[in-house]
Amino acid sequence: MGAGEGARVLILGIETATPQVGCAIGGHEGVLASFHAARGRRHAETLAPAIDFIRRQARVELDEIGAVVADVGPGLFTGLRVGVVTAKALAMALRVPVIGVSSLDLLAFPVRWTHRRIVSVVDARRGEVFYGFYRQVPGGVQRLSEQRLGDPEALCSEILATGEECLAVGDGALRYAEQLQELIRVEVGEAGLAYPSAGSLVQLAHARALREEFINPWELAPVYLRKADAEINWSTREQAPPQPGPVV
Amino acid sequence: MNLVAGTTGVEQTRALAGALSGLARAGDLVLLAGELGAGKTAFAQGFAAGLGVDEVVTSPTFTLVRTYPGGRLRMNHVDVYRLEHLQEVIDLGLAEMVDDPAVTLIEWGDAVVPALPADFLEVRLAYGDQAGDHRSLCLRTVGPAWAARERALGAVLAPWAPARGPAC
Repeated sequence: MGAGEGARVLILGIETATPQVGCAIGGHEGVLASFHAARGRRHAETLAPAIDFIRRQARVELDEIGAVVADVGPGLFTGLRVGVVTAKALAMALRVPVIGVSSLDLLAFPVRWTHRRIVSVVDARRGEVFYGFYRQVPGGVQRLSEQRLGDPEALCSEILATGEECLAVGDGALRYAEQLQELIRVEVGEAGLAYPSAGSLVQLAHARALREEFINPWELAPVYLRKADAEINWSTREQAPPQPGPVV
Repeated sequence: MNLVAGTTGVEQTRALAGALSGLARAGDLVLLAGELGAGKTAFAQGFAAGLGVDEVVTSPTFTLVRTYPGGRLRMNHVDVYRLEHLQEVIDLGLAEMVDDPAVTLIEWGDAVVPALPADFLEVRLAYGDQAGDHRSLCLRTVGPAWAARERALGAVLAPWAPARGPAC
């Protein structure tokens, strides 16, 4: 794709890393249409009809889409699976490239004008959060650390260690707002900044599309950060039943 | 603490599970252990019926997870029998399931304990001494959530208390 063509690329964004499900279409004109639903946790049922809805409202034919971008997490498994597989399927069917964007990058993007350190925090459940630190740079934000999984105490000590004023955004920041606000020089972003925006996704991806930072659809994978390195010990499964009992 | 019960057949196993479901709360985790045919799925069926689920509960061996929203509490029914790696258990999104306002039952859950929160009720089903459909059930609480309900568990299991108390 040449630079001239690239400047005109229309992007479909798919955002499913949190309890919210969202999608947007946009490009050089900004966001043409977007949809978000934050209640119900029905990503699989909602996403495809929502994509079709915004596509029709924005009067975009599917074959005009030049790239598909998905939030690849870190975030909730149930949603990410739906979003990533939908992005892959559409990109393969349309024969267009894909872009994967971090949920934490997306949370930091709408607050990119602050001079404070930005901490994106996604609720990972089970008393843990995914988080990452950012700072403002011309045109966007720059990630300052690896994306991490830890408990709120670990997050608080990392915030303290920066020695800087921080703005914490995301549903994880809201869930643990009390703990975070005990730290002086930390402000927690409002509920409107709780979830990544599909509009931000399209905006962030547009810049990357112009630089042709694409990957192939089969390379798109969710970022989970939770790791277990062991095989399951199946000593029990290998045993035959001691007597042929009825299967119940 | 361990609790023991005995049932004389699959209907009794279902009835016991149904009675036990009355103690279930949002966020609970129940691991079902025991050999093939011991009655893990029957237990899940009785548990679902006790919650008020009117759908047919089938073994999720091939779908891995099935969710039944129809009862007093939403019930996630998981079977990890086909999994080989603990990462696959994590990839099922168990952390989210357990955090949701739901009760989660995991068949063969005893094999994947390292990937689970250390707060659950383990129900181990085994073939009884007598030939036929007799089963013995051994219930073990791990962590605070079910330990706090041990007295209530004992009361629920009383009708199925074994004649001679085998250890478990």
